[in-house]
Amino acid sequence: MSTPNTSVRIGQLHLRNPVMTGSGTFGFGNEMANVLDLSRLGAVVVKSTSREPRLGNNTPRIVETPGGILNAIGLQNAGVDNFIAEKAPFLRQFDVPIIVNLVGYSVDDYVYLAKILTDTGTADALEINISCPNVSHGCDFAVDPNLTFELIAEIRKVTPLTLITKLSPNVTSVVPIAQAAWDAGSDAVSLINTLLGTAIDVKKRKFKLANKTGGLSGPAVKPVALRMVWQVAQALPKLPIVGMGGIVSATDAVEFLLAGATAVSVGTATFVNPNAAIDVIDGLIKWLTDNEVWDVNHLIGEVS
Amino acid sequence: MTVLQTFARVVENEEIIPGHRVMICNAPEIAKLAQPGHFLNVLASGTYESILRKPFSIFHADPASGDISMLYAVYGATTIGMARKLRGDTVDLVGPLGGNVFVPDSRQDAVHVMVGGGYGVPPLVFLAERLRETQPDARIVFIVGARRKELLLCEPELMALGVEFAPATEDGSRGKLGKVTDVLLEHLAPSASVYCCGPTPMMKAVGDLSIAANVPCQVSVEVPMPCGVGVCMGCVLDLNDGRRVRSCTEGPVFQASEVIWK
Repeated sequence: MSTPNTSVRIGQLHLRNPVMTGSGTFGFGNEMANVLDLSRLGAVVVKSTSREPRLGNNTPRIVETPGGILNAIGLQNAGVDNFIAEKAPFLRQFDVPIIVNLVGYSVDDYVYLAKILTDTGTADALEINISCPNVSHGCDFAVDPNLTFELIAEIRKVTPLTLITKLSPNVTSVVPIAQAAWDAGSDAVSLINTLLGTAIDVKKRKFKLANKTGGLSGPAVKPVALRMVWQVAQALPKLPIVGMGGIVSATDAVEFLLAGATAVSVGTATFVNPNAAIDVIDGLIKWLTDNEVWDVNHLIGEVS
Repeated sequence: MTVLQTFARVVENEEIIPGHRVMICNAPEIAKLAQPGHFLNVLASGTYESILRKPFSIFHADPASGDISMLYAVYGATTIGMARKLRGDTVDLVGPLGGNVFVPDSRQDAVHVMVGGGYGVPPLVFLAERLRETQPDARIVFIVGARRKELLLCEPELMALGVEFAPATEDGSRGKLGKVTDVLLEHLAPSASVYCCGPTPMMKAVGDLSIAANVPCQVSVEVPMPCGVGVCMGCVLDLNDGRRVRSCTEGPVFQASEVIWK
């Protein structure tokens, strides 16, 4: 019996399978190396990395809501110098592509990060986070096609690495933003980031999150994510998409592939089941075999 | 350290005092690795309102039989789901979790003073048990606090371990009338070493008294831990040295002197 081909390509990046980890749900890989074999993953997407260390928001930072969670971490990370000195050498021990999610306050910050990560060889691709809802400036780029274009064009000038622009669902129409990222030289887009929301403690009459608002993720957002992936795939069929939002099973992953995603990310599910990404990979191979689909690429955009 | 996810078979799940139960389940690989201070992340809510696992301290771990147990109060979706489990059912566990566990004071003449409140008691019983195994003659004072005598946890286990059981109840129905700190004051000699787990205000009070008496004090913090494995950054805690650390993988046990209490 033959085994199905699971490898896919995003820009210049060849993935052994289409399953990645969602940024901010997998740390920098070192914690998860105690739980699973990193070299089985399509890619590791690390937590957002900024130019300077960030302490993030006050607690509570994560609360449960029906079918999901709201988070307002505020991009806590030890900064890019720490990533290069400590996190990247650990990850490099494993045979898995490293995608660094980067975030900044200004075009200058993003350009600096892209350049230093490229020059040090510590990233195989860059995911440009223009859409974190929990910091005051991170979101501005993602809601305006002109700003998206300017940012991505400047980053493109300083790096040959595959660029994946992470889009926000908190926009009226996502297609013009995806188009702008692509026109500016982004090799792919990833969507969706979290949906802006809030939750209230009725006894205390207070917001449950210290930050008041946060980003919704988990199974609750899957139908929204799937719809947005499909809309971008319809409008821009040649633009590779990394689809994410509430994926907990192989069936969920197949849905995203059928909607037009070339790869998928498992995010919040990792909080519930640390092995979730591996379970999705195993489940996907079984699904392909059971359904006699011998190349995962044959699923992409096949919904009708 | 290795983290395992397993469907453990429930061996026993009985109510011990009103509203509190002990679940014993068989998870040999976790039982082998478990140390006092480690915790388990349990998935048992079965409702769409609560999708995350919830953390529970390890109460006992027996590497020989492979059994581990948790003591829990039935009050939310996860614990209601746990209370419904019958012998032979399975329970979805991740563990053992925690990067820093309790470290027994190595001084020869150390008096080990354990201070527990509510479900902060079980991990300290586990600590006392392990300490008895390695240092049979060690002096252990175990201070347990509760609102009234019916709610005092783990007295039979502690009696069997031969510790000095020192209860405090808020209505004076058993032991000292007052709080655990009232009992603690009698034991803060230079040879004392304090280990504490319970509600945050209690740990702050115990920590402050110990620090003032120049006595070492380890606390196992109670902070909501959405993932338990160090990746969600939801359970962070501020330390005096300016670091913002994860309670799960960089704790849950800290020196009381390190913690900035909220």
